[in-house]
Amino acid sequence: MTDWIGKYYLIEYIQACGWAAVLAVAATLGGVVWAGALFFFTTVFGRIGRVAVAAYVQIFRNTPVLLPIYLVYFGFPMIGIVWPAAVCGCFAITLQQGAYVSEIFRGSYKSIDRNLYDAAQSIGLSGWQIFSKITVPQVIVYSLPSLGSQVVLILKDTSLLSAITVAELMMQAKRTQEATGAIYWPFLMAAAMYLFLTLFIDYFFARAQKAVRWR
Amino acid sequence: MNSNDLIMLLKASGYSITLSVGAITGGTILATLLVLLAFSPSRILQFIYRVCMWVIRGTPWLVIAMLVFLSLHGMSIRIGRYYAGWLALSICFSSLFAEVIRGAIIAIPETVFDSTKSLALPRLIVLRKVLIPLVLRQGLPPYINVCVMTVKGSSILSVIGVWELTYASREIIERNLTVFQTLFAAAAIYFVICFILDRLGRNLETRLAARGFAHDLAEGKQND
Amino acid sequence: MIEITGLKKRFGQQEILKGIDLTIEEGEVIALIGRSGCGKSTLLRCINFLEEYHAGTISMDGVELWYRCDKNGNRVRRSTAEIAACRQLMGVVFQQFNLFPHMTALQNVCLGPRYSQKVKPDLAESIGRKVLTDVGLAEKVDAYPNYLSGGQQQRVAIARALAMRAKVLLLDEITSALDPQLVGEVEDVIRNLTHEGITMILVTHSMSLAREVSHRIAFIDDGLICEIGTPEQVLDRPSSPKLNEFLSI
Repeated sequence: MTDWIGKYYLIEYIQACGWAAVLAVAATLGGVVWAGALFFFTTVFGRIGRVAVAAYVQIFRNTPVLLPIYLVYFGFPMIGIVWPAAVCGCFAITLQQGAYVSEIFRGSYKSIDRNLYDAAQSIGLSGWQIFSKITVPQVIVYSLPSLGSQVVLILKDTSLLSAITVAELMMQAKRTQEATGAIYWPFLMAAAMYLFLTLFIDYFFARAQKAVRWR
Repeated sequence: MNSNDLIMLLKASGYSITLSVGAITGGTILATLLVLLAFSPSRILQFIYRVCMWVIRGTPWLVIAMLVFLSLHGMSIRIGRYYAGWLALSICFSSLFAEVIRGAIIAIPETVFDSTKSLALPRLIVLRKVLIPLVLRQGLPPYINVCVMTVKGSSILSVIGVWELTYASREIIERNLTVFQTLFAAAAIYFVICFILDRLGRNLETRLAARGFAHDLAEGKQND
Repeated sequence: MIEITGLKKRFGQQEILKGIDLTIEEGEVIALIGRSGCGKSTLLRCINFLEEYHAGTISMDGVELWYRCDKNGNRVRRSTAEIAACRQLMGVVFQQFNLFPHMTALQNVCLGPRYSQKVKPDLAESIGRKVLTDVGLAEKVDAYPNYLSGGQQQRVAIARALAMRAKVLLLDEITSALDPQLVGEVEDVIRNLTHEGITMILVTHSMSLAREVSHRIAFIDDGLICEIGTPEQVLDRPSSPKLNEFLSI
C-alpha cells in the first residue's frame, strides 16, 4: 500500500483537480451570465417576462440536475448537435444554476431601496443607464455571500459529470481504484481535493466581500 | 416510450420517495446529534462540529456516497445498495439539516430567555411551550427547502447503481432511445413530488403563523 | 417660468390634487406648507413627473412638459427621451437623501452630468468638485454615503441636484429625516442658494425656514391651494380659518 502515492497518480489527480476547477468556473460563469439574462428579462419585459422566468425557475428548482445533464448529453445528438461530454455537462449545469442564481439576484434586487429609482429618474438617467449603473452594481454586491455557497454547490455538481464520461476528479478516483485495487484512498484523495477547491472558493468570496468599501 | 416504461418509472419513483423519506428521517436524527455538539459547552466538541460541517459541505455527495459504500463493504456489512444509499444520503444531508436546526435555535431572541427566567417557568415547560414552537416556526421554511433538496439529491444514487427514478430513466433511454419523453416524464414526477412538499411546507407555515408565532419571530429577526 | 394649470392627481378612488393653479417666476423661491397628506409632496413629485397626473398641464417657459397632444387631440405621454431631457431642467432633493450607496460623493454628483447630459468626464468631475465645495464638503469627495452623517448626505444630495445646472430646484422636506442638530448645516446651504437667485420650490414643515428664504408661501389644503402670498401675508395675517388653525398648532 505504500507505492500508491506514486508520482504518477499524484500528477493525474492534480490534472483532474484542474479539470474540476475549469468545469466549475465555466459552469459558474455560464450560470451567472444566464441568470443575469433571466433577471434582465424580469425587469425589462414586465409581466410576461416575470411569468416566463418564474416558470423556468420553478421547473429547474424542482428537478435534479442529472436530468438536464442527460437531456443535453443524450438528447442533443438526436437533434443533430454533437458536443464533447464536458461541454454538454457545463451547459446543463448552466441551465439549472441560471435558475438558482437568478433567484439570488431577485432577492438582492428586492433589497435595493426603491427610492433610489426616483433619484435616478430625477437626474434624467435612461432605463438602461439605471439598470447598468444603479441596479447591477448593487445586485452583484448584495449577492456575493449567497453566490459563494452556490459556487461550492456548482463544484459539487461537476462530480456528477463522471456519469457522462467527463474526466474530472470523481472519474479519476474510479479509474485509480480500478487500476490499483485500492479501496479507500482514491476517493479520500478526491474528497481532499474537493475540500481544497472549496477552501479556495470561500477565500475568494471572502476577499471579494472585503474589497467592497461602500457597505 | 410505452406504457410499460411509464409503469416502470412510477414504480421507480416509489423507490425515490421512500429513499428520500428515509434520508430526511435519518438526516434529521444525525443532524440533531450534530447540533448537540454545536451547543455543547466543550470547545473541542464545538470544533468537531465545525469540522464535520465543513467536510460534508465541501465534499460532493457522490464522493460521500461512494465512501459509505466502500466502508460498508470493507466492514463486510452487506445490507444491499438500497439501504447503503439511504445511509449515504442521510449523511450527505445531515449537515444541511444541522445548519437549519442550529440557525433556528440561534434566531431565538435573548429577550425570550429573560422573560422565561423572570416568570420562573420550569425548564420542561419552557422547552415545550416556548422553545420548540419558536424553533419550529423559524426552522420550517428552510427545513422544507432541504427536504426538497433531498428528493432531488436522491437522484445521484443512480450514478452508483441504486435503482430509483433517475436510474430507471437512464435504463429506458439506453434501451429505446426515447430521450425526451422519458426525461420529461421523470422531470414531471420529480416536479410533482417537490411541488407537493413545498406546498405542504407553506401550508404548515401559515397554520403555525395563524397560531400567533409569526409576530414573536418578526421581532426576533430584527434583533440580529 | 413654471406654469401649472388645473393639475389633478388621484390614487385609485382618492383624489389627492384637485386642480392646482400656480405660476412661479424666474428666481423666485416658493414654499409649500400644509398638513401631512394634503398633497404638497405629491405636487412636487408631479412637477418632476415622478408621479403621473391625470389632468392639467405643467409647462416651463411656455413649453408643456411630460404630456403633449397627438394628431387626434388626445393627451399622450412624451417619449422617454423627451421626459429625460425635461428632467434635466430640474434638480430634486429628497427627504431620505436617496444617494446611491455604491458610489462616492463625487461619483454620485457626477452621474447626472456625465451620463444624462453627456458632459466630458473631466469637465463633469470639475463640476462635481465645485458643487461639493459649494455645499462645504470639499474634503469628503471620495467618501461613501454610508460613512457620512445625515446632514452631510443631504448636502451631497443637494450638490447632486445642483450639478445638473438645473434652472429649478425642487426640495421635498429635506430636513425632516435629520437629527435636530444636523438641520442647521443643511438650512445654511439653502440660505446660500437663495443669494444666487436659483428658482426653488420647497416643501417644508419649518415655518421659520419658509419665512426666511421664500418670496411667497402657498398653503395647500385638501388638494387645493388654499392661500398664497408673501410670508408676512400668509404667516402673520392669515385670512382663511383653516390656515389659522394650521398655524396655531
